[in-house]
Amino acid sequence: MTPRVVPFGEGALLVELGTEFQENVVDRARRIAGHWENIFTFGPAVPAYASVVLRFDPLRIEPAKAETFAAELLGRVEFMLVTPTTPRRLVEIPTTYDGPDLAETAERSQLTVEELVALHSKREYTAYFLGFMPGFAYCGRLDPKIVSSRLERPRERVPAGSVAVADGQTGVYPFASPGGWRLLGRTELAMFDPGAAEPVRISAGDRVRFVPQ
Amino acid sequence: MIRIIDAGLRSTVQDRGRFGHLRSGVPPAGAADPFALAAANALVGNATDAAGIEIIGTLFRFTSDHSRVIAVAGRDVSLTTRSRLPGWSSVFVRAGQTVTVHSGERTRFAYLAVSGGIATEPVLGSRSSYVPAGLGAVLRAGDTLPLGDSDTGAEDAARRIEPTTYDEQVRAMAGPHDDRFDRDVSARFFDGAFVVQPASDRQGVRLGGAPIAPRAGELLSCGVIAGAVQVPRGGAPIVLLADHGTTGGYPVIATVIAADIGKVAQRMPGESLRFRRVERDEALDALRAERHALSVR
Repeated sequence: MTPRVVPFGEGALLVELGTEFQENVVDRARRIAGHWENIFTFGPAVPAYASVVLRFDPLRIEPAKAETFAAELLGRVEFMLVTPTTPRRLVEIPTTYDGPDLAETAERSQLTVEELVALHSKREYTAYFLGFMPGFAYCGRLDPKIVSSRLERPRERVPAGSVAVADGQTGVYPFASPGGWRLLGRTELAMFDPGAAEPVRISAGDRVRFVPQ
Repeated sequence: MIRIIDAGLRSTVQDRGRFGHLRSGVPPAGAADPFALAAANALVGNATDAAGIEIIGTLFRFTSDHSRVIAVAGRDVSLTTRSRLPGWSSVFVRAGQTVTVHSGERTRFAYLAVSGGIATEPVLGSRSSYVPAGLGAVLRAGDTLPLGDSDTGAEDAARRIEPTTYDEQVRAMAGPHDDRFDRDVSARFFDGAFVVQPASDRQGVRLGGAPIAPRAGELLSCGVIAGAVQVPRGGAPIVLLADHGTTGGYPVIATVIAADIGKVAQRMPGESLRFRRVERDEALDALRAERHALSVR
């Protein structure tokens, strides 16, 4: 698809960059969000895999004007300088692999439980973006040998700290919630602490590893 | 300080929302009916970012240690001090006097503002409660809440703001994912009546009615906003409210305009809801009219 900017109500825009996962598209989404928030300072932005939601106060910035700015960003995102950042941080998540879906996921993937744990924990993931709930980082990509389709029937309650996989992604539920990802294990590590200087354990762009306990 | 005698069911402290941490997955929270809280704040002379109490459930009673101007707003709300007084108007309350906020049969959310504002410690830039992540907590009988400074007096009472008409019709702009729905399905969405389902809460209002399923099912997770009408595979739409997850994986057929989000939030289970399609200019006019209505003085 051709990238485009469409209105999302009167006070936001949706920038669509693509329809499927691509590492460089995720990166573009993050750059556009950063520029909107920090350079234009029009309002908050929410980047995801292949899209960005750009918010603004429509009584302060005319929506048509906001759209022009967004389209301009889209046009030059390729050439935007990536601000030199500190080397990407590595976050290690101590994980006990005893999740209720571990055996079934291994079976579906035609792996032993040990092989599945090894495949999940030996890989270094990238945190692409945060969403869904405070501190929930969408990490990937999983080893393609792991068959990780979502549960047919989402659970009504997934416990906090659950380490889960779905559709090539992995992540940790920071709080108990309904959820359809497959649960491989759990961690004691708090993923969100509103009192901390950095409230989230994993930030977008971090490298992530799960360390078997 | 105000002292809560009866706290309702799931009442919380809310302001206009927490928008600085959406990228960390922190939902905006804030009042589910933003205009009602804004009106209550305006009536007592508070700043637009002041916090009030979002009352869920009937019977909310409190006393204030200081004389203050208060106001309640929302759908079918009123209050009692020495006598029964209407909502959407400011009332002077003496120190120690007991105030009862009355929710009607069709009230989902009532908003109480006290001059000076509820002055709990802001967390991540806002006083809004988001209970699932432990930001704030459900209020209980016996709780006390600090108040900000205020120089309002009896002369600031009896101001009034015209209440919202909480009818079944809400205005919505098409999209952003309207191209994922067949044209006749979109037409049905804007023609048809939906019924509010009991599972509705601060995250979203769930609707039943003729299914309006999208052509393709899920999409890659994408940022969402309050007012977004998400349609999961089964075709039963959900209108997102203040506590919505920051990203969602379902196509958004339409977006309720900011001025009408409170009308959606206040629909009771079993009540009907209809969407009227509008363009952006009308949404902006409605927002300006709302802003204008808040200028009491």
